[in-house]
Amino acid sequence: MSIQALLTQFGDKYVQALFTTWKLTATSFALAFVLGIVITVMRVSPVRPLRLLAEFYIQIFRNIPGASLLILLVYALPYLDMIFSYYTCVLMACTLIPAAFCSEYLLAGMNTIAPGQIEAARSLGLTFLQIIWRVVLPQALRSSVLPLTSLLVSTMLTTALASQVPLNPQDLTGLVSYINTHAVGGVTAFFISAALYCATAVVIGQIGSWIDRKVRILR
Amino acid sequence: MIDNKNGDIRQFLFEEPGERTKRTIRIATAVSLVLLAAVLGAVIWQFYRTGQLDAKYWRIFIRWTTWRFLARGLAGTLEAAAMAGVMAFAAGFCLMYGRISRFRWLRALCTALIEFTRGVPTLLFIYFFFLVAPQLGIKLAAFWKISIPVAISACGVVAEVLRSGVNAVPRGQREAAMAIGMRDSHAFFKVIFPQAFRYVVPALISELVIVVKDTTFAYVVNFPDLMQNARVLISNYDALLSTYLVVAVIYILINYLLNKASDAAARRMRNTGTAAAPEMQTGAGEGAGV
Repeated sequence: MSIQALLTQFGDKYVQALFTTWKLTATSFALAFVLGIVITVMRVSPVRPLRLLAEFYIQIFRNIPGASLLILLVYALPYLDMIFSYYTCVLMACTLIPAAFCSEYLLAGMNTIAPGQIEAARSLGLTFLQIIWRVVLPQALRSSVLPLTSLLVSTMLTTALASQVPLNPQDLTGLVSYINTHAVGGVTAFFISAALYCATAVVIGQIGSWIDRKVRILR
Repeated sequence: MIDNKNGDIRQFLFEEPGERTKRTIRIATAVSLVLLAAVLGAVIWQFYRTGQLDAKYWRIFIRWTTWRFLARGLAGTLEAAAMAGVMAFAAGFCLMYGRISRFRWLRALCTALIEFTRGVPTLLFIYFFFLVAPQLGIKLAAFWKISIPVAISACGVVAEVLRSGVNAVPRGQREAAMAIGMRDSHAFFKVIFPQAFRYVVPALISELVIVVKDTTFAYVVNFPDLMQNARVLISNYDALLSTYLVVAVIYILINYLLNKASDAAARRMRNTGTAAAPEMQTGAGEGAGV
């Protein structure tokens, strides 16, 4: 099918699909970021059960395949009387997994901070949470912009999971499978979606390295 | 992850607590324990209330045949993952070699290909081989329909990981090789790449985790991997939740062990001093882990 024919027939569906992918990516990344910060603070806190819980979370969600998690959320949770919409299930899968990686990057970022800074903060009389909030986290964030940028890209790639459940409107991957089962979209349908993903990834990468140049701490 | 010249931040965040702080920590510990117990209790109660703890859902897991069937699926998963890993390494090596070549057009081409494979979801590649390739007259067995797309989506990251290793080899190595009369390619294959490879072994093992995860989409193309065999079990025994939970745990364990192996390789490298390894550029392979 030619690209014109494809776009006249499915053009608005592509626009909707692109926005669905963007929306899923942005929402789940924002949630994953907040959850990641909470988990990281738990991991470095002096309260042992919280540390263990956070480490447990990391090991589970770093290692579970997205498909496996999504299937559990969509098909297994209803057996426990917990029914969520398909969209919510995808959103949860795309949040829980990146949150674990987010925490890994933040912890790595924290490890670039010199111990002397913590000692200085403590001698000023700052409490644990104040040290975390005012000294450690800002620096950790500033030095983990690049890993977080690639996390945003991989969150976008994870949202392709949305193609595994019936969604309306569909995401970019789901649309390719839809077009190919309803018409002979062929290679063109695939390449349009692929190009939209890639373009988004490139833009994210550019913005990420621009932010990194602005905020990186030169040591 | 947690290796840094300053050591683990957690060692410095607090000093030996005083009496008052000790009490605060004790209270916080107690409260969090109670909360954890409450959440755990609620989960178990929910399982119990909905009847998911009934023996009928779990009985199949004391049967040997169940495990044999799952093991056959696991073998499928590992075969597909191993094949995808080998192909991703070969393709990744070529892309890396092209990206550092002398020819500008080849560099541009390989850079574009690397960015393309890193920017497109594995599932989209799978749909390409599942739905689009047959329209082009390409007929492949299910095994290849899953392992090729998984390899494609991994090869870009592999290329970048290898390149970061090559960049980490000190410049003097190449100069020394030139000085004793080696040609460019000879120096690369005999001197530079062997060292680069050793730097990136841990990152390559971590990439295997992503490969294993991606093979879970094998059910899309009807390849009998662990997940697909789990679905067969479920349609025969009506034990959906328990089966999917067990399968998820198996996947988590495999990937956990791979991550451990990667950590061990990294530690070994540091200890044996293979790496007076100059600061590896981070972020090349990271972030793709989801």
